[in-house]
Amino acid sequence: MPETKTYKLSFTVLILVLLLCFCANISLGSVFIPFQDVFNGLIGNPTGNASWQHIIHEYRLPKALTAIIVGSGLGISGLLMQTLFRNPLAGPFVLGITSGSSLGVALVIMGASLFGGAFAGIFVSKWSIVIAASLGSFTVLLFVLIISNKVRDTMAILIIGLMFGSITTATVSVLSYFSSAEELQQYIFWGFGSIGNLTWHELFIFFIIYVIGILMSLVSIKALNTLLLGENYAKSLGLNIRTSRLFIIIATSLLAGTITAFAGPIVFIGLAIPHMTRQIFNTSNHKILLPAVFLFGAIVMLICDSIAQLPSSDLTLPINAITSLIGAPVIIWLLVRKRKMVF
Amino acid sequence: MRFLILLVTCSVLLTSCKKENRQTAVSINKSEGTEEIISYAKGFSITNYEDYKKVVVNSAWPNSNKIFTYLLVNKGKKRPKHDNNTKIIEIPIKTLVAVSTTNISILDYLGVGNSLIGFPNTKYICSEKARKRVDNGDIKELGNDLELNIELLLELNPEMVLGFSVNGVNKKLDQIEKLGIPVVLDGAWTEQHPLGRSEWIKFVAAFYNKEKEADSIFKTIEANYLKAKEAAKNIVRKPTVMSGSTFKDIWSVPGGKSFIAKYLEDANTDYLWKENDSNGSIQLNFENVLEKAQNAELWIGSGNFDTKKEMLYEHKGYAFFDAYKNNNVYTYTEKKGAKGGLFYYELGTLRPDLILKDFIKIAHPELLNDYELFFFKRLK
Repeated sequence: MPETKTYKLSFTVLILVLLLCFCANISLGSVFIPFQDVFNGLIGNPTGNASWQHIIHEYRLPKALTAIIVGSGLGISGLLMQTLFRNPLAGPFVLGITSGSSLGVALVIMGASLFGGAFAGIFVSKWSIVIAASLGSFTVLLFVLIISNKVRDTMAILIIGLMFGSITTATVSVLSYFSSAEELQQYIFWGFGSIGNLTWHELFIFFIIYVIGILMSLVSIKALNTLLLGENYAKSLGLNIRTSRLFIIIATSLLAGTITAFAGPIVFIGLAIPHMTRQIFNTSNHKILLPAVFLFGAIVMLICDSIAQLPSSDLTLPINAITSLIGAPVIIWLLVRKRKMVF
Repeated sequence: MRFLILLVTCSVLLTSCKKENRQTAVSINKSEGTEEIISYAKGFSITNYEDYKKVVVNSAWPNSNKIFTYLLVNKGKKRPKHDNNTKIIEIPIKTLVAVSTTNISILDYLGVGNSLIGFPNTKYICSEKARKRVDNGDIKELGNDLELNIELLLELNPEMVLGFSVNGVNKKLDQIEKLGIPVVLDGAWTEQHPLGRSEWIKFVAAFYNKEKEADSIFKTIEANYLKAKEAAKNIVRKPTVMSGSTFKDIWSVPGGKSFIAKYLEDANTDYLWKENDSNGSIQLNFENVLEKAQNAELWIGSGNFDTKKEMLYEHKGYAFFDAYKNNNVYTYTEKKGAKGGLFYYELGTLRPDLILKDFIKIAHPELLNDYELFFFKRLK
């Protein structure tokens, strides 16, 4: 194990990179705004153009903060899942939480086609998508919790989560089949993920739930490290497996469920960031991994969003395309270079 | 944007019973106002007061039970008292962002096309005037209608966004509202009567103080429509008509109460699904349609195709229909914009008279000898 000092250096560098990416993200976008004005806009001084102030304050700043929350939250929930299931392929999606959200949203957007207009009327509000996604993920989570209380084996929970995913996916495809082109487009666009459509008020609510999730995962660090040794060994060390497992699942679901509700199903980050962090830090100690994943997740998401904005062009790309396009090759390269996986 | 596709190709606006328990909006000295006469459209009303107008949209999307109230106040005049759910819009509008091509033709007809400064998917715009403005950079490209580029929109800072909502779930429009740009919802496409859709020109005109122009334009369109309908009324022989097209295994057919069915009725044809009571489209499987429509004489509105060969490429079963075999397939791809947009989607809402005449020309060619098909063409 390297000394803690090197980690201090690594963390200092990571924090600096995060700040740099944050500034870069706010400076780049479809509309070109000189850096001087970006800085003025951030500290509340007048900018060269009234609409710039608006763009920075009401659009870019919430977007950058959302990117940080989404990246760090998904990274951490992926790390928790991979450790809990001792499976390098696990991510926040495996419990079926995201599929649950998708089902909720599909019902709101496309349900009217199948169940008639009255159904749609119930849901129409500014919050309908968020509420539906949260309800969806929460319902699936509830099932998973009930089952994890009954089922001893962690692997079995994993399989059951995947099954839930299949059921919801199938239901969504039935809904899609009977919906209009416009509704389908709406749903597909939701599936692309979007971090640029939160207002300050929504961001605030998002942030509160996220903080609870993060705190819960911080509390679980010790349990996570013990779980790495295997469930039986952890038991002999006096860890209450059932309680810890419940705690970790709730933390994950809070993070993944809320993020999916507010930003759509953002792919890849949850699976890949923990691997990236392990390869670079070469440790499996969660005391180090957790904060490192937090920083990496936030940095990667900010970079992906900056690229997705295609600075100075009128186009923007869906964030999900970028996360995988940029992220996957990086992971492949890391694994090939190291010739083995740190897990 | 191309939301007419919704109804013409594959849309499901199930539900046939309109809710009657509309909540009433808070009225503001109703007694002093004079209400505009709206003959066909059911989705909006305009009441004129001394310094402002009240525009109410009660059918922003199908079966919506939400009422949208807009107070249109002349610039420089005092704003009347209003509740939180009422939006104030300063008129006449000088800069506008719209998201549907149907509004492009309305703006053109009203002579206010120059107020349009941003539009998503500009490639779908057909009107030559508007195309020229796109090419000159006077109309900015704003990306996709569901994901309007917010940064560009904020920089344009239009006085108003004229949008629409398929089902009331419209995160992007809510966000635009919160950023301080008023969003007004256009519900023309929810109307059941073709003239009702066209009459929404009066709704758009209210924001420009162009009511007089709108009224005379609409009166002309209405007169043309009724004249054509009258001429077709007395023909004894009604040809049987099928419509719609299949995508994968689902065939979308205009419902018996849809506006397409209304055209077919007014053109004095025998629409095979006239008994059905849906006002959107109905989803049927292929066999079902084949059984009912194999011997239909005419096939009107077979989707976005240019040739019969293209149709066959999409689904080989099209060849089983008599209308196909006998070259009696007609669809709305006759006129296209420079970038491939369809005039039918852009202008069809405003000009139901031309659509009806097309239908009559197809069904009873002897009636309109010197009329050339406008939107529709016979597929070869």
